[in-house]
Amino acid sequence: MIEAKGVSLRYADGTLALNNIFLQVDPGELVYITGPSGSGKTSLLKLLMGMEYPSEGTLHVLNQAISKSALLEIRALRRTIGPVFQDFNLIYGRSSLENVMLGMRVLGIHPSQMKNDAKSALVTVGLEHKIFSLVENLSWGERQRVAIARTIARRPKLILADEPTGNLDKDNALKILSLLASFRNKNTSVIITTHATHLIDQKQSFRCIQLNKGSISQDKRECYIN
Amino acid sequence: MLYKLKLIVYNIDYFIKEVGTSIRLNFLPSVFSFISIGLIFFIFAMITSGWWISRYVIQVIQEEVEINVYYHEGLDEGEVRQLTERINDIQGVREARIIDEQEAYNRMVAILGKEAHVLEVFDDNPFTSFIEVNVDLEKTGPVLDELHLISGIEHIRDNKEVLRQLQNVVKILSFIGYLGIAAVSISTLIITANIIKLGIYARKDQINSLRLLGASESFIAFPFLLEGMVVAFAGGILAMILMVSIINFIYMQISGTLPFIPLLTPNSLILRLVTLIACLSIAFGFLGSLIGLSSAKKV
Repeated sequence: MIEAKGVSLRYADGTLALNNIFLQVDPGELVYITGPSGSGKTSLLKLLMGMEYPSEGTLHVLNQAISKSALLEIRALRRTIGPVFQDFNLIYGRSSLENVMLGMRVLGIHPSQMKNDAKSALVTVGLEHKIFSLVENLSWGERQRVAIARTIARRPKLILADEPTGNLDKDNALKILSLLASFRNKNTSVIITTHATHLIDQKQSFRCIQLNKGSISQDKRECYIN
Repeated sequence: MLYKLKLIVYNIDYFIKEVGTSIRLNFLPSVFSFISIGLIFFIFAMITSGWWISRYVIQVIQEEVEINVYYHEGLDEGEVRQLTERINDIQGVREARIIDEQEAYNRMVAILGKEAHVLEVFDDNPFTSFIEVNVDLEKTGPVLDELHLISGIEHIRDNKEVLRQLQNVVKILSFIGYLGIAAVSISTLIITANIIKLGIYARKDQINSLRLLGASESFIAFPFLLEGMVVAFAGGILAMILMVSIINFIYMQISGTLPFIPLLTPNSLILRLVTLIACLSIAFGFLGSLIGLSSAKKV
């Protein structure tokens, strides 16, 4: 599903964000990427989403090479990925339903199916009573749920969540991480970056990768965080 | 291809809604753009109608190139007939025929229409008989030269000078017309491009979200292209409304005072102008949006 061989990422200002990353993620894995601020978690996710390109090494996501020469293919790749961001990336002035449907519009789904799937995704994340509410009238936790509903309604093969609990209180953060982890199945991998390791749901097995100064300092398949 | 078609068909409600949202977000600039485009197209319509009418007038006059030959009053009927036959033999003359005083009078009554009562001030018929010579436009010069050599002719009236002056007017109006088209194109493109750029900047977060969700640039651009066409076309409609009112008003004013000028009928003029403005406004709106989109691509 993901294969990185000797990947480095250097930004235009010379900052080395990632250094010589070797990584393989298989279908159905739940991966937490942890590490302090500036360790390269977000940079790694940006690479996986094709928002940045490796300065060195090769990176394949869902069999698609991430490189500057494959812009159109990367757009197509993004349609199979479900992104979740710390700041939600929702469209204000629109309802929860419209936001979820917006994520599906780029897939060419029939309008009636799109509406049904969007509604059931909102039901899945527990927002059945806020389907027609404008997103700016929702709490932070609810907004993140809308963002997750937008992601799962697209039935992605890969869910990439970048610090999805960054703006949430502890209770909401726990719920969101647990919700995201629950979407892992044999076809869908879930990768979550977080520095809040104490919030990770320990009940199910997961893989944890620790980044430090742009390099992988730890990679455990069966991880338990104390 | 099927995917792209599906995207447009399945999301047409979204695209239309997005146009509304963008206009709502930039309400005042949109209204100003609409009014500016409307006024620009209105001025353009006025120049174009002047251009078309004058071209029509000259065309009609050219089709009816006639030379009126007035002969000496002392000629008897037989001599006049001989003179007419002689004129008929000149190369370039299609037909020469005698118009008697009564026919000349009747023609003027027909031309003046409702205003024909002005002729009642004359006790006697003020018109004299003459020979009407219909000629090929290109051969007007040689025919006139020949006519001047024939004895018994007192005066020859041709409309060469009128035609020459009209042709000059048409040339000037054509030049202004082309200038008008250039001015309208540039102004509409600039206005539309700017309104689209404003719309893009106002919704840059949404555009970035769509890109992250895998939307193609054409999917993102489609509502903006629609918006440009809608704003420009709305401006076009404003111009059409103003234009129809003004043209009807002008025709009402001149229909009685200038009965002898062969004008295009108001309906045909309006139909042609409406078609032209509708096509141009949509086309320039589309092109302006493309320019706006390309200049705001880095958003």
